[in-house]
Amino acid sequence: MTGIIIISLIAIVILFLGLYKLDKAIVPLAVAALLAAITSYALAWNTNIYYFNNMLFVDNFAILFSILTIATTILILLLSPGYFEKISSNVAEYVALILFSLVGVLCMVSYNNFSMLFIGIEIMSISMYIMAGIRKKDLASNEAALKYFLMGSFATGFLLFGIALVYGFTGSFNLETISTLVMESGGQAAALFVAGILFMIVGMSFKVSAAPFHFWAPDVYDGAPSLVTSYMSSVVKTASFAAFIRMFIVAFAGVIHIFTPTLWALAAITIIVGNVIALYQDTFKRMLAYSSISHAGYMLIAILALGPDSGNAIFYYAVAYSIASVSAFAILIKVKALKNSESFDAFNGLAKNNPKSALALTISMCSLAGIPLTAGFFGKFFIFTIAINQGFYWLVGLAILNAVVAFWYYFRVIIAMYMKSPSSDEKIEYGFSYKLVLWIAAIATLLFGLLPGILSGLL
Amino acid sequence: MESNFLPSDYFPIVLQLLAAIGFVGLTMLATHLVGPKRKTKDKLETFECGIEQQGDARAPISIKYFLVAILFVLFDVEVIFMYPWAVNFREMGMQGLMEMFVFIGLLLAGFVYIIKKGALDWE
Repeated sequence: MTGIIIISLIAIVILFLGLYKLDKAIVPLAVAALLAAITSYALAWNTNIYYFNNMLFVDNFAILFSILTIATTILILLLSPGYFEKISSNVAEYVALILFSLVGVLCMVSYNNFSMLFIGIEIMSISMYIMAGIRKKDLASNEAALKYFLMGSFATGFLLFGIALVYGFTGSFNLETISTLVMESGGQAAALFVAGILFMIVGMSFKVSAAPFHFWAPDVYDGAPSLVTSYMSSVVKTASFAAFIRMFIVAFAGVIHIFTPTLWALAAITIIVGNVIALYQDTFKRMLAYSSISHAGYMLIAILALGPDSGNAIFYYAVAYSIASVSAFAILIKVKALKNSESFDAFNGLAKNNPKSALALTISMCSLAGIPLTAGFFGKFFIFTIAINQGFYWLVGLAILNAVVAFWYYFRVIIAMYMKSPSSDEKIEYGFSYKLVLWIAAIATLLFGLLPGILSGLL
Repeated sequence: MESNFLPSDYFPIVLQLLAAIGFVGLTMLATHLVGPKRKTKDKLETFECGIEQQGDARAPISIKYFLVAILFVLFDVEVIFMYPWAVNFREMGMQGLMEMFVFIGLLLAGFVYIIKKGALDWE
């Protein structure tokens, strides 16, 4: 809660720093504020406090996801020096927008009232609509912003309609009141209530880019500037999943058996669509967009197999995915700056000229593919375990089959880096903060891959 | 206040709907059949208050109008929040006053920002 206030105020201060041409101070101040916010959340561990007349409930679930999203934002902001300056001089606005969007994210992961969920999603999304289109003269960037805005507001309409129907049936926006009513009804639900939850599932599926609501994602991820894409695919996706599963854990746990076929189909279609279309991509960035869709499918399995371990499984998966994704986008930005291309060919022979960055990208690709000794393996392992415990054998079989298919497109870039010859001898130059991010990402991925116990027992 | 309505209770509304649609349909049909048809160039032009039309409707308009309009709407809407606050002023006491100060403070920061950024400079 203190975290939300700190970040909001510092974002306003940063806008004024931009006015007075103190651009050098922007990123350090933002990172300091985010570290303070992490500390304030860490200090609230195990306290379980309600805020604003039960609008927000900061429990351990909320704290974990808040810290994860804030930490990922720090990594992304550390990549930003020198990046936003190339787009335009409004650097302060870009950083402030990212921070504002993070405030929305923090509301989304700790909401205890559906109106707060809606407000959080709107705060987060509206900042992202702008950020997707900050390259004003680039047609793809404009397309991304407009498409994201139109489709996003349409999906928010579905979510709002769902909330209204649930309110019509239960007479409350409060998650705990709804949960009590659901428990009293003993697993039975009226058509109105089912329709409401179904609409909410549609709205949230859009936000997490689950198929068949994924059509916006590749174009938006492709068109937006890479740093913004890395924020969208890590922080925004983590927050949307946290909000999605919180809805089911707290409010609708008693009726989730009604939606088992829906969520089963959503997860299966998302995994297949994401992985199969990713096979046919020629550019690395678009491949990452489709891979992000397929990861949404794996995380949906944890919601489908709802149980006491679901929150933790999603958290672990989100940690592994966010870190790997940030590091992949970081190297993509540098390669794009050097070769002016985002295709797989641009990575040819990267290992010869830049062995360290090739290694970092290899670790991140292995983590995304879910190879043992990386964090991504345990992310998938925990999710598949809870699904098997609940008897979803077919779905897990399908997911494992698709995870194997995914090796093909993740290893395409590794093969390009290590087995093909480079077109030139140019080396990539990294600043200090860039190196720091890549080191943190690589070490964290290996650490969580070797010692999963650090994070797995927290919830 | 619990009272049950049957679908048949809405019959008058259906009747009114039919009458409204019927009137429109009937008058359009009647003018089409009865009225004389003399088509001249002036008659076929878009009717705009009797003034001759000029140019295309999709002419580009300076973004400055939009900026001023949207900022006006922003500050206009903010004032609406003060009405419920003023009505409940006594009950909320000191805390309410402080909250309004925070709100106005943030608003003022935004105002200073747009002035400094030059959003309201016309030239």
